[in-house]
Amino acid sequence: MNNYKSFEVRDWLEDLKFQRWVYHGESDDFWQNFLRDNPLQVANIELAKETLLSVRGEQDLISEKEVKYRVARILEAIPNEEKEPFLPWWSGNWLRVAAIFLVMTGFGMVFFKGKNFSAQFLPLSSTGIRDNQKPQMLEVVNKTSTIRLVNLPDGSSVILKKNARISYPKQFDKDKREVSMTGEAFFEVVKNPEQPFLVYTGSMVTKVKGTSFSIRANDEDEEVKLVVKTGIVEVSANDPDRIKAHKEIRKIVLKPNEQVTFNRKSLSMVTKMVAQPVLIDLSVEKQDFEFKRTPLNEVFAALEKTYGLTIRFDKAAVSNCTITAKLGDEPVTEKLEMICAVVNAKFESRNGVISVTSGGCE
Amino acid sequence: MKHSERLPETYLISRWQQLCKGDKSAFGEITEHNYAALYHYGTRFTADRDMIKDCLQDLFLEIWEKRESLSYISAIKPYLFQSLRNNLIHRVRRQSVFSEIKDNDPCDELSPESDWIINETDQLTANRLKKAIESLPKRQKEALYLKYYENLSYDEIASVMGLQRQAVANYLQYGIQKLREYLQHAVISLAASAFLFWY
Repeated sequence: MNNYKSFEVRDWLEDLKFQRWVYHGESDDFWQNFLRDNPLQVANIELAKETLLSVRGEQDLISEKEVKYRVARILEAIPNEEKEPFLPWWSGNWLRVAAIFLVMTGFGMVFFKGKNFSAQFLPLSSTGIRDNQKPQMLEVVNKTSTIRLVNLPDGSSVILKKNARISYPKQFDKDKREVSMTGEAFFEVVKNPEQPFLVYTGSMVTKVKGTSFSIRANDEDEEVKLVVKTGIVEVSANDPDRIKAHKEIRKIVLKPNEQVTFNRKSLSMVTKMVAQPVLIDLSVEKQDFEFKRTPLNEVFAALEKTYGLTIRFDKAAVSNCTITAKLGDEPVTEKLEMICAVVNAKFESRNGVISVTSGGCE
Repeated sequence: MKHSERLPETYLISRWQQLCKGDKSAFGEITEHNYAALYHYGTRFTADRDMIKDCLQDLFLEIWEKRESLSYISAIKPYLFQSLRNNLIHRVRRQSVFSEIKDNDPCDELSPESDWIINETDQLTANRLKKAIESLPKRQKEALYLKYYENLSYDEIASVMGLQRQAVANYLQYGIQKLREYLQHAVISLAASAFLFWY
């Protein structure tokens, strides 16, 4: 400080106390006095000050309040104890989540033999509204010994286990999406509150309100079971008599880890809490697709295994690609879209085979 | 920014070590202490403030996640700056993929010139400062910023920017020289008027 009087511009630039005055207004009295007492330094100081300010650039300060808020958010995102955190990299609106449910009707195929499948299951006839204009129905039965993926017209996907069967219209109604099924299956449903997704399993109706859950509806059993994974699910009895009589239908709204046991005969419903929302032995049931710098080929392998897909891609081209993401209950096509967006790739599906083309990752 | 300036380095290093051992309050303090400076540095690269905040959240969560392996770090601030920089550049590139902006040199997409506008009341000064800083290449600007505004050493700047020390020295030398030359002429008249005012 003693030699401030002989400072040149470059000395001022390097002086910490001077920098702090310029950037943070510290010791303002001292510097005002110094300027007054040392008029020969004014020019140097002005130049140094302007240089420093131009180096700093635009002031875009964040308030202390917001910093505190942001830090609190970060601390909230830390899991308790040893659970691994994940890095949320996608914004909320990416997630048009999805409902997952599993339906299990084991032996029940015998039960329906010889009956009109869609009449048995689809409530269209029982509600009596659209008898004259039934949409074209599609039916898929998994006759393989492994799982089979079915993509529904709305983008939702269903994994059918062996002997499972699903029936759905070629095009869903505008106001609702109705499917019926038997066997064991896993659904991932695109969320669309305007167009509820209804699953008919015999006398039980499940209405998806944008969530994930599992159903187990063994036709040889008197009971149907359903467990919610996330979100809210509404269950009610498909009771034509009461509908005709315009009587109120009993509904149960279920939240995560809540299980309902539905009695097919009495149409009674009993709920309880469970530790894990798992009903049938499918990896996807509890799969959370959490990837941390996971090589793309491993990510694809996980998807292939879970959904019974075949994904073709150039191993060399994507050798540097990794994914850090937590995928939820999105239908498989949405998962692929997200992944491809991250690694700058495109995919197309033909004859059940997904082909991914990527420019590689740096 | 002021609140983040004055904690002694030794204190921060000991807090960092506690963080690495799983101390959440140390983690919170380190995060809060560095947030504003990192945010401001982030505004050098993108005008997307939300993206900066996202990156910061990712950055600190990642630090927490791998805290046990980070106890070797003694230069905390350069480490954080470097991490944010890599993170942001990566995102800006990725975003350009999303928005289909094609550019041969992704680095040139960073730091829109408008981000370096000086926010000063004096329009004349602001314009002059803006022009001065705009006349510099981006990396020179960044090196100057890290040196003068953040007080990082040459070595620290080199590690943050992924450069050789000598390159940093060159950037700084030419950058500051150019700025001074640019500002010199105008400042003389300004200083003269200030001089007259005081006397």
